[in-house]
Amino acid sequence: MADNEDTGGPSVSEPLDLVRLSLDEMVFVKLRGDRELKGRLHAYDSHCNLVLGDVEETIYVVEEDDNEEETVRTIKKQEEMLFVRGDSVVLISPQA
Amino acid sequence: MENSAPTEGKDPSVFLSEIIGAPVIVKLNSGVVYKGELQSVDGYMNIALEKAEEFVNGKLRRNYGDAFVRGNNGRSILFSPV
Amino acid sequence: MSFFGFETKLPRDRDGSGSKGFFETSDPFADIARAHALEDDDVIDFEDTYDGLGDQLPDDQDEFNDDTFGAGGADTSVGRDFDFFGKTAQVSDVIGEEQVRYSLQNPNSARVAPQPAAPAVQPAASKTKRSGYEKYSDPGYIPDLQAKSSVWGVSQKKPEPVAAAPAASTASRKMMSLEEVEAQMRQQGHNTSTPAAEAFMRSMVDSQYPQPQHLQTLPDGFPPVPPEFLHAQIKQGHLPPGMPHPPPGMPELYGGPGPMPPGVPLHMMQNANLPPQSMPPAGPRHVGPPQAQRPQQPQLPHLPQQQQVPLPNRTSANGIPVITNPQQLRDLTEEQRNAYLVEDAKRAKRNHKIFLLSRGNGLMTPQDKNFITRIQLQQLVAAAGNVADSDPEAVLAEDFYYQVYSQIRGAPRQHPPPTPGPLRPDLSVSDGQQARADNHMQRMQQQVQRAVEAAKAKPKNKQLIIEGSLGKISFSNAKAPKPMLNIKRPDSSEGPKPKKQSDLSLSDRKSILTNLEGVYSSLMAMEDMERTMPPPPEEGDAEAIQVHMEWRQKLHSLNQKLWRSLKVMEPIVPNSTTPHPFIAFLSYPKGKKAIPRIFRHIDQEQRVTILTMIVVHLDSLDVVRLAQPVPGEAQPSLGVREAIDLFSLAVMPCLLGYVNEAPFNIIIGLLGLVINQTHVQTVARTKVGLGILTMLLSRAEIVKEAGQASEHDWQQWVQKFNILFDTLELGLNDIFPGTISSGDDMYVWQFLAAVGIGASPEQQQRLVIAVKDRVMETVSYSKTLPADMGSQRLSNVNLFMRAIGLDVELLG
Repeated sequence: MADNEDTGGPSVSEPLDLVRLSLDEMVFVKLRGDRELKGRLHAYDSHCNLVLGDVEETIYVVEEDDNEEETVRTIKKQEEMLFVRGDSVVLISPQA
Repeated sequence: MENSAPTEGKDPSVFLSEIIGAPVIVKLNSGVVYKGELQSVDGYMNIALEKAEEFVNGKLRRNYGDAFVRGNNGRSILFSPV
Repeated sequence: MSFFGFETKLPRDRDGSGSKGFFETSDPFADIARAHALEDDDVIDFEDTYDGLGDQLPDDQDEFNDDTFGAGGADTSVGRDFDFFGKTAQVSDVIGEEQVRYSLQNPNSARVAPQPAAPAVQPAASKTKRSGYEKYSDPGYIPDLQAKSSVWGVSQKKPEPVAAAPAASTASRKMMSLEEVEAQMRQQGHNTSTPAAEAFMRSMVDSQYPQPQHLQTLPDGFPPVPPEFLHAQIKQGHLPPGMPHPPPGMPELYGGPGPMPPGVPLHMMQNANLPPQSMPPAGPRHVGPPQAQRPQQPQLPHLPQQQQVPLPNRTSANGIPVITNPQQLRDLTEEQRNAYLVEDAKRAKRNHKIFLLSRGNGLMTPQDKNFITRIQLQQLVAAAGNVADSDPEAVLAEDFYYQVYSQIRGAPRQHPPPTPGPLRPDLSVSDGQQARADNHMQRMQQQVQRAVEAAKAKPKNKQLIIEGSLGKISFSNAKAPKPMLNIKRPDSSEGPKPKKQSDLSLSDRKSILTNLEGVYSSLMAMEDMERTMPPPPEEGDAEAIQVHMEWRQKLHSLNQKLWRSLKVMEPIVPNSTTPHPFIAFLSYPKGKKAIPRIFRHIDQEQRVTILTMIVVHLDSLDVVRLAQPVPGEAQPSLGVREAIDLFSLAVMPCLLGYVNEAPFNIIIGLLGLVINQTHVQTVARTKVGLGILTMLLSRAEIVKEAGQASEHDWQQWVQKFNILFDTLELGLNDIFPGTISSGDDMYVWQFLAAVGIGASPEQQQRLVIAVKDRVMETVSYSKTLPADMGSQRLSNVNLFMRAIGLDVELLG
């Protein structure tokens, strides 16, 4: 078990390690502006710039109808490959 | 020291490193609240949460086994040990 | 204003005063002239002042003479005056000659001797000598002195010039002179016998030296002192009635340096021109020079020589007699006079030049120059960039040139107290200036210090970390954004998160992923090591061997790290619900992808260990476990198929590569593990499982055919093979994926072929019976397919058929 410390140590010693663990895995990414992405994380950097593959993008649009009732409409998009600029990223979660 | 509650006069980073593993509430400027176990924080105020719950307008929206919350963007973050 | 107006005429004043010695000490220019005259002996001042004046005077005087005195009558009257003067001049000449002679013979005693001889001259002369001539102990300088005296002569030649000068010169001066004249005339009874010019002269002199004895004793040749100067001095209170010497006022006469501390210019001159001992002790500070000088006078050895200066009738260096009064000039021959005039003109020209050049002399003391230099340096430093001083006012306050400009322009704006007051030295008191200079010095030092500190701070910036209130704060660069906090990581993983281990479902996944990242980190490090592999060491090259050994050592440690990350050696927990870490590792695509890279960096033993682990856990591999055919489903899900494909592409070749070279006993052992440790039926129903079995069977057949297998080993193998055959026989139909139309079943035919080759004839018979239906189906199905696809399917079947000695062709 001494091996544990050597290689792994704490499984997440800093937050970005969590992102690193998700490399080549499917991740959920919450973006500013009510957008969400699901895709395979191919690459990231410390700015949270991301490269995602096989991405499904979901955009939530709040619409106000005549009765002043707000309804949320979702728009979905598929992207084979996507680059996400880090400053728009709010949250990244591995999609187990 | 480690067991004592964080007190005033301490380095924030010391405080933050001491509450790792503790349940926390992270409140973003957008109003979204995440509750979960604090896995780690870094100098960019990035946060890793475990078993995180996402609350929007007080309503539970999602659950994340793990969640990385990006710290920059001038987002104010509230650490609230539960 | 009179001071400034005086400027041009100052030389004259200096002449007069200089000759009388009152102002000499205080007159920096006198020193300069002396220096010029003596060349080596610094005392330039005299020449400067005297000669320049002389030039100006004669010209003006001549013209003015005509104007003021008229043509003929004036001349005659003047002539009488000249006679009078001439007589005195003659007497003084004689005395002078004697003095020269005496001084030449006995320089030391000569100085004292003349005094009684020419008591009238003495006061003025002695004063003169005090300051400048003290150094003239060496007889050699005498010619220079004569030259000076000649200058005097020039100015003295015509007394009228003095009277005329006021008219020609500035109005102020003229006014002053007239007033002075009147005042003097009133005060003193005029000698009717003396001409107006003489009276004027006297009055002038009187004004300068109120004491009657001075007036009387003055030699004729002494140029008059402009009354306005005296007035000014008197007004300033510098000239007490009884005190002929007004030292404090003097500096101001020279323009720029005037306002400076009186001692400063003189000090400079002193340093430049005068041997320290020759200067009166009061000199530098200019504190009460007259009083100080007076007592010194008798003691000064140079006095006699100084006295000689005013004395006429000496010959100049070029043989032309020194003319100290008009009488002499008249006595000269035409030739001499011309020569004299020419010479004089030359000298005048030269002196004028010197005068012009020397105008700036003494404007700045060395201190002042230092001051300016410091300011300039300071501004250099400031210009180099003091970020802290962004205040424009502060910047201006530091700007010397702006300060000067603002002073000249009347100081449009006043700076706050910290700003030094007027920088112009002539407006500052010595103490204030000193303080200001110190202030500037301090500022400059501060600036330099700040610059140095800024430079020191730079390397810190390179480290990208500074101490802040929130701990260490780093600067950002492209790769590393600026962190807001420096969070200390707990050194031991034990402390903060002991519960990690208990949380199986989540932390297991995470730990597996962490292992994976550890593996990749090690892989990258090792691959990097490979690129930096030192050349193979030659024998005897100890150093190269050493380098190589170290490199190998590093590589080995990395290998160990990699191995630990793989978790292959983790103990196998029987009947555990959680998969072995390594098997979990393999369940991730990136885990599968890592295997080829891992195999390149591990030895055979590690490879067989990995293979063993895989074989032992064959039925728990994701590609086996998840690939079990589901009733109603033609094939596994897309994800599983991708995983299987990836495993087949990435992992299987590595395993195959090892198995193809593995010793037979290992193959036997592996087969035994499959049979004993795994659910063979489950394994056999998957592509990967069948692939591994095929691998082992094929290797065994190859070993047998190569004759490498010992009888004992072969017996062991056959035993295990039989167990396997018996286990599989019942479910042979189930090893085919889905229906016949569901796609690729080649791997099954390959497995069957491998089994068939190693099978006994009896087993082959059972095998044919077991799969006969599928064979027939495939043959018929292939005929419905396009030619190439059909032949592909048939060839797959035929692979098996030929293995058992048959052929699809035989089936008709």
